[in-house]
Amino acid sequence: MSDSSPSANNSNRLKFLIGGGLFLIAVIFMVISATRATAEFFMTVGELQSSGTEHTGQNLRVSGAVVGDSIAYDPESGQLQFLIAHIPGDDDQIKQQGGLSYVLHRAVVDEQNPRLTIRYQGSPPDMLRDEAQAILTGTLSTDGVFLAEELLLKCPSKYEEALPEQVEN
Amino acid sequence: MMATLGYLTLALAFLLAVYGLLAVLLGLIQKTVPWIESARLALLLIFPLVTISIASLVFLLVELRFDVAYVYSVTSLEMPLYLRLTALWGGQSGSLLFWSWLLAGFSLYFGVHKWRNDDADLLPYALLVVFFTLGFFLMLNLFMEPPFERFWHLPDGSRVLSVLKPQGAWLLTPADGQGLNPLLRHPGMIWHPPALYLGFVGFIVPFALAIGSLASGRRDRRWLELSRPWTLIAWVFLSLGLVLGMRWAYDILGWGGYWGWDPVEIAALLPWLSSTALIHTALLQERRDGYARWNLALVLLTFALVIFGTFITRSGVLSSVHSFAGSDIGLPMLIYTALLSLSALGLLVYRWRDLRSSHEPEFTFSKETLTLFANLILLSILMVCFLGVIYPILSELITDTQITVGPAWYKRITGPLFILLVFLVGVCPLAAWSGTNLVRLKKRLLIVLPISLLVPLVAWFSGGVRHGVVLAALWLAGFSVLTLLADYAGRVATDWRRKEQHPAAALWAPIRRNHRRYGGLLVHLGIVLMSIGIIGIEGLQQETQATLAIGEAVDLGGYTFRFEGLDHREEQAGWLVTEARLAISSEGDPVGTLYPVREIYPNMGMAVTLPGLQSNLAVDLYAILVDWQPISQDQATFRIFYNPLVTWLWIGAGLLTAGVVVALLPGSSRRKDVQTVQVEPLAGQKLR
Repeated sequence: MSDSSPSANNSNRLKFLIGGGLFLIAVIFMVISATRATAEFFMTVGELQSSGTEHTGQNLRVSGAVVGDSIAYDPESGQLQFLIAHIPGDDDQIKQQGGLSYVLHRAVVDEQNPRLTIRYQGSPPDMLRDEAQAILTGTLSTDGVFLAEELLLKCPSKYEEALPEQVEN
Repeated sequence: MMATLGYLTLALAFLLAVYGLLAVLLGLIQKTVPWIESARLALLLIFPLVTISIASLVFLLVELRFDVAYVYSVTSLEMPLYLRLTALWGGQSGSLLFWSWLLAGFSLYFGVHKWRNDDADLLPYALLVVFFTLGFFLMLNLFMEPPFERFWHLPDGSRVLSVLKPQGAWLLTPADGQGLNPLLRHPGMIWHPPALYLGFVGFIVPFALAIGSLASGRRDRRWLELSRPWTLIAWVFLSLGLVLGMRWAYDILGWGGYWGWDPVEIAALLPWLSSTALIHTALLQERRDGYARWNLALVLLTFALVIFGTFITRSGVLSSVHSFAGSDIGLPMLIYTALLSLSALGLLVYRWRDLRSSHEPEFTFSKETLTLFANLILLSILMVCFLGVIYPILSELITDTQITVGPAWYKRITGPLFILLVFLVGVCPLAAWSGTNLVRLKKRLLIVLPISLLVPLVAWFSGGVRHGVVLAALWLAGFSVLTLLADYAGRVATDWRRKEQHPAAALWAPIRRNHRRYGGLLVHLGIVLMSIGIIGIEGLQQETQATLAIGEAVDLGGYTFRFEGLDHREEQAGWLVTEARLAISSEGDPVGTLYPVREIYPNMGMAVTLPGLQSNLAVDLYAILVDWQPISQDQATFRIFYNPLVTWLWIGAGLLTAGVVVALLPGSSRRKDVQTVQVEPLAGQKLR
């Protein structure tokens, strides 16, 4: 502070800039390397089915409607398998088509809808049931089965309905 | 009639906020005090009014008045009193009203504070911010998310939701409510939302003071002095809110972890990071008289992030564990956030040149340089987290494919940065404010670094840890604990030698003399201990899944877990509770029993998995009952976790809280002078 000559200030500032700059470059490098290693492509079931083997081996994230009849869990091997049906990936589109619970319902009922087999090592979560929305991360195997590493479920529950049943009936 | 009362008081409060806003504007245009004074009095009325409003909602909840739609949606007959109270923040509209109530409470500061004459120029602009924010949130409560709507039968046979009685309608009262989401019926959930909200809302005071300072063209750091306790209070509640949320996730969500890098969690972490940076550079401005721009930018950023966090949590724009309700308040919140952030930013840019300071930090090993470095790290973590949240949107705009980043991404980038921060916390006590004695530093490092090697050595030999990165991280954390303790011990020893005090008195003396410094030290110690817990669970967690018949056992982390049986019972309202018994033994000696539970709520179609947990300072044994064979009842599937050191996370959080309390104790020795200036009443004075 006592040293207030312009040249000393400039060299000080330069040191801070170089130090901070080097640090930021290191952070950016970490971001790039982490993105390469772990980022996931978000796809719909339809996109995945039509893309063939293009995405095999990549980190993927898929969303779809759980087909309740297809849920099979083998406690011996701890393997869970089920089908998900295609739903649009875009929230606005879902809203246009009549809301999430309606879209999920239609997706499961319509047998023409593209479906994807999910395999997951682990037990069935509480919310895994017919017409729930499943969001899965994992990879696509060469035989077209999606090997999920993580599965997240959302149910459009009755909490979201505005009027109670007694009122509607 | 309580619903009507609650609604009317809310409407009055909203009108007062609008009036206050207009009065301040008039006062500023006419440059007269009476309008400002009138606005200040209006502010004094808002808090009692919102209190009456929220009290009526609490009354309706406690009385289980199911004709009120909000009460119907979050309570039910079988809920005990404390859950009916916490149902206040169990749903969207209740929690927003709670938000507004806290906001009105904090805003009271501007009405009650005895404004010194030379601070009077700050007040009108601060009031402007407060009224604008209050008005906005009260508007949400009144028009977008009203908690007082009731069910009505209309004469034509239809049913509607309305606050006031429609013509010729009669009330419809459901026999029972839907009840609070079972996931929210947990002690952690009782305290997590209020703590977090207090943390969020508390930043209104520093923010409004900063805007007041900027708008009135002040260049001093008076706003920082005034806001210091409020920043610390908001910060500690934000910290507690985050930790309580972790504890809730750990105890209820049953995935064996405490933090899932969920967008909503990150949204709460962002203001924590920026306010942590603010607390540190505020200290620099106090000592060095620079950094005025920096601190203003940080407080503006913090409040913008608070509003952004509220927006993310409450609008349901992102899917996460917090999406308990969808909502339409997204757009108005976005507009408010944009308006507030942009005008604050514009103001800062407008005053930028006036805030220039002659102070130039020296690039030497000093507390100042270290603080700046810590700031850089904190803000880097903030940027990375923010990037992670917006990555899906960004990638879709650029490449047309949505790319998302998950926990692995965050951990890889922020892990090293957090460890570096923990190390800096330990280095800081070794540095002087300027001109650190490098010879002495070297001597100290040569003592402290080898001694702290004991920590990884203990982990290696008695904990069996072989993970290189974890050992290194533990070494650095151990180093920081040691330097922090040594800093305090050194002061105690000097005191004791110099004054020959009683040892107990010498222990307390440094803290008594300098609350701020040793409060801060305690906070740092808390942070380092928390990091040890996080290193443990992130780096050393072990996990297994097994299906066991009664009498069978599985091994994990040197422990044996034997399945002893299942108990089924039915509790009130038809909940089915299944509890398993897992006996733990270590090398043949019994250590305890875990009781993992699964609760099924048939009427809600939900199940909740509660882990069985046994913890000590070294390790948590944590088991989840995944599945069982309902007929034979002799087989069940478990997920078992071995979570080392995680208890230190909770202990550290306790120390951190204690540290802030110490730092806030009145009568700290430093800078008493600012308190002693003559106080004159504001009313009747002309504005400059």
